[in-house]
Amino acid sequence: MVSRMAKGSPTVSEPTYFILASLLDGPLHGHGIIKQTLELSENRVRLPVGTLYGALDRLAAAGLIAVDREEVVDGRPRRYFQLTDQGRALVSAEALRMQQAASVVTKRILRPGSAFS
Amino acid sequence: MTVVTEHRADTGAGTGVLERRYRRLLLGYPRAYRSGYGGELIATLLDTAEPGRTVPSARESFALVVGGLRTRVIHATERPAWVDGVHLGVLALSVAQLAMLVPYATTVPLWAGLSALAVLLIMRGLVRLALPVVVLVAVKVCAITLGLPWLDRTLLPVDPDRFWGGGSLYGGGGPVAPMIGYALAVLGLLVLTAHGRRLGTRSWFWLPAASLLAGADPAGLDFPAAGGSHAMARVALEIGVLLLAVWAGHVAHDLRWAAAAAVYLIPVLAVYAENLGMHSERDVAHLAVLVLLTASAAAVPYRAKRHVLL
Repeated sequence: MVSRMAKGSPTVSEPTYFILASLLDGPLHGHGIIKQTLELSENRVRLPVGTLYGALDRLAAAGLIAVDREEVVDGRPRRYFQLTDQGRALVSAEALRMQQAASVVTKRILRPGSAFS
Repeated sequence: MTVVTEHRADTGAGTGVLERRYRRLLLGYPRAYRSGYGGELIATLLDTAEPGRTVPSARESFALVVGGLRTRVIHATERPAWVDGVHLGVLALSVAQLAMLVPYATTVPLWAGLSALAVLLIMRGLVRLALPVVVLVAVKVCAITLGLPWLDRTLLPVDPDRFWGGGSLYGGGGPVAPMIGYALAVLGLLVLTAHGRRLGTRSWFWLPAASLLAGADPAGLDFPAAGGSHAMARVALEIGVLLLAVWAGHVAHDLRWAAAAAVYLIPVLAVYAENLGMHSERDVAHLAVLVLLTASAAAVPYRAKRHVLL
């Protein structure tokens, strides 16, 4: 998967962006990621569990996240995921890209004399 | 390292019902994935469910079905691509060949039975055993299409059972297309046998597919003789399976499903070539859809590699 990524330029979807962002402060398990994603996106990104684990599998295969540790709660295993350096770099680059894209608009609409200011 | 920590609070009988229903939805995931991560998924599903809920939400159910299919597709890529593609293509072909014989089962029970046995053996990955069975059926089919009494005495033409109606066996087209179909199946089995390694087993989904295809004559054109519900069921199933092949190629960036579709398409092309000039507009549209979907299954893995969506 990593070698596949090298061939193309990955596009980060909004759910993936918030999953990666939710792991910036430290490792989280599945339910923790869902809660954090919901909070960071101001209730916009509500991940179903099937979608979340599919995304986590893809991100782990791409080397962007890794399993930090496992715990057993009520007899059931629970994995904690953490960002890898590659994942941290990707989400940072994506944030900068969006910031630059946003500034194209915000610089204009917030300019003194603009119709929106 | 695994650490045992807190205990989940007892959440009552409703949770037991919900957990059973979630477990049923998880059956879409491969067995190995379920045994590794099924417990974790169930725990997260129960943690995120609203209190008092006993039925999974439509949104969560859909995500689990798609997630299961996607995981199956990814797991399938652990097998060598070309071997898997040929195996899948030969299985699809043998299912269509069995479906062809089903309406005539009471007149040619031995050959319909052997064809069903061939499907079962191919489905279970036992291609070495399937090869002689397919060769026998192929010889008999050639005999019927040529009007020769090879292997046993079969009164020609072979008419269908009353339930099915329709024309006589291989009466709707020439002998070349069925021969190409069986030659391709035998060739595929020879290649898989020569490869030597044990093949994986295939889903039981393929058995009901044979009954859905039955009654639609793969040796002739579908629509000139009134088409009917059998032909429509066959076309709908073909399109559904080919759409899955396109999706699987996109998800896994892999050509095996396109290879399987191409194996299935070759005898269909032979039918059209053998009946050149006799096609209705719907026949041409049918062929165009099959070719387009097969080409898409071949193209999407390349596109998906260039535009990686995370």
